[in-house]
Amino acid sequence: MYWIDIVQDLKDESIFRMAAEAVFQKRAAAYSQDWPGTHCLPVGPGALFHGMYRIIQSPTVVALLFNSDVGAGDDYRQIFLDGRELPKDPNPTWRGYSVGRWEGGTLVVETAGFNDGGWLDWAGHPHSEHLRVTEKFRRVDFGHMDFQMTFDDPEMLEKPLTISVPVNYAADAEMLEWVCENERDAPHLPPASQELKLSPETLAKYAGTYEFTGQTPPKKPWLATLTLAAADGRLYLGALPLTPKSETTFDSGFGTLQFSLDSTGLVKALTVPDGLKYIPKP
Amino acid sequence: MSLSAQWLNIKTPGIPRTPDGKPDLTAPTPRTPDDKPDLSGMWRPAQNMYWVDINARDFFDESAFIPAAETVFQKHVGDYGRDAPWIHCLPFGPGAMFQSPYRIMQSPSIIAVLQGQGGFRQLFMDGRELPKDPNPTWLGYSVGRWEGDTLVVETAGFNDQSWLDLMGHPHSENLRVTERFRRVDFGHMDFQIAFDDPQTLTKPLIISLPMNYQADTEMLEYVCENERDSPHLAGANQDVKFSPATLEKYAGTYNYAGDTPLQPPMRATITVTSSGGRLYFGPFPLNPQSEIKFDSILGELTFSMDSAGAVNGLNFTVSPDPCGRGDDPKPLMFVRKP
Repeated sequence: MYWIDIVQDLKDESIFRMAAEAVFQKRAAAYSQDWPGTHCLPVGPGALFHGMYRIIQSPTVVALLFNSDVGAGDDYRQIFLDGRELPKDPNPTWRGYSVGRWEGGTLVVETAGFNDGGWLDWAGHPHSEHLRVTEKFRRVDFGHMDFQMTFDDPEMLEKPLTISVPVNYAADAEMLEWVCENERDAPHLPPASQELKLSPETLAKYAGTYEFTGQTPPKKPWLATLTLAAADGRLYLGALPLTPKSETTFDSGFGTLQFSLDSTGLVKALTVPDGLKYIPKP
Repeated sequence: MSLSAQWLNIKTPGIPRTPDGKPDLTAPTPRTPDDKPDLSGMWRPAQNMYWVDINARDFFDESAFIPAAETVFQKHVGDYGRDAPWIHCLPFGPGAMFQSPYRIMQSPSIIAVLQGQGGFRQLFMDGRELPKDPNPTWLGYSVGRWEGDTLVVETAGFNDQSWLDLMGHPHSENLRVTERFRRVDFGHMDFQIAFDDPQTLTKPLIISLPMNYQADTEMLEYVCENERDSPHLAGANQDVKFSPATLEKYAGTYNYAGDTPLQPPMRATITVTSSGGRLYFGPFPLNPQSEIKFDSILGELTFSMDSAGAVNGLNFTVSPDPCGRGDDPKPLMFVRKP
């Protein structure tokens, strides 16, 4: 879910400088309607957190063919391994300019030269043209790769933000074509004016920590516990603002969150997309 | 109109060089460890107009297309190509290989084509067959095999949304494309593409084009930022109105009078016709900009008149190549056949 919210692990926005946080709050309040992906533009440097990609390797160039940019559609990155340096004053681009090197068995890729049009995540965390991304790919065995991504952007971040995710080899599968057919794929989010308003008391009732309950544990470890918070008349899942659809259902942008109440009106359970069920932590 | 990426100058390692440091483009074709030709690298199609008009070799003769396809084509032409998918940031279509530079990344089981106009193709080399009933897609589904030293790629499963070219020749979902890549030496590749579509073509359309290795340069990012890249065919100048009688005075046959050789699809003789209140240059409609100046998808025509006001010739300036190839185009002079 890093592509939704890059700081989901931190559950805290303090890593962002105040100016960046102001941009984020503005985007979040607008339900991410200006997310570049809505306009068929590249979603930003977090594209590899979502969807599949194919690596094709040669001694001098590694190509990443990714099916993961839900905005611009299928596209690629070229990572130059011929020893060249990052350009000093690159022309800013959506995907930046990437050079790579081998450190033992780890491919280390440095990328700079981003424009500031991309977002770090769907929720709306911004980055500047000074963003530098360092990615480390380490294939531990045939089917598994450790992937680490560090975002360094002194203009927006107090300190570098590092995220590690395991990546699994997709055998016997292939990427189907994804072409963004302009505005047709825009998320159907309601304009803010039509939004249902819930009282602060109702929202406060939902705030708290929820623990996973059920037979099949969530595939992603960070989904074991969810934190919901109410602030400024809005309910948040981590840093992700939720849109009320009814007294008990909320839209998260990636699916519906459903609260169930007991006969006294207290929250009994929370169901999230994929059917995962959570109970409030006492 | 900038449809493809810009260029940087980079001294690429691993390229055979002559003693003076220039890339040795006639060095032998590199081979992979499993002794196949290695097609990897950046390639650029030789200058051509096929991406503008797939029928460019014979562009006054549309008999390769069945009448229903020709009707669709004429409608696209009449609209100055305004509904071309690529104008709406959709893929260029099966003619993309004529249009932009591309990078080939080769592995034994898969070959990737990274397209200069964005997006990629995957050519599966693992012996699989084309799917029987594929879900139609913009780029189709491609499988490849080696026939000696020639890579043969078969593609099917296209949707019918894309156009074969900028002008607007259509194709159906039954289109099958066969491409042949033969790298003859380090710097040169013979490319042949055959379009077979019984629903739109009277017979398969086969085009051969040399591809040139691009040393010491690279493809820069191309992201289509929606409508911003639309061609500047703004439509007719509303102040310029012609009566059919006026248009008739431009109609006629014009002969090339210049001394530089003509590039296809330009021909030594061109025909200007008047039909339905509009002038056509071959099949291309002309968009009036002034009394003497007309715009077309291929370039600009400026008619000249004698002292009596009779049209006696025209200058044709080909649109600048979007790939930035070559010098700025010089006007080509044609004189009217009496």
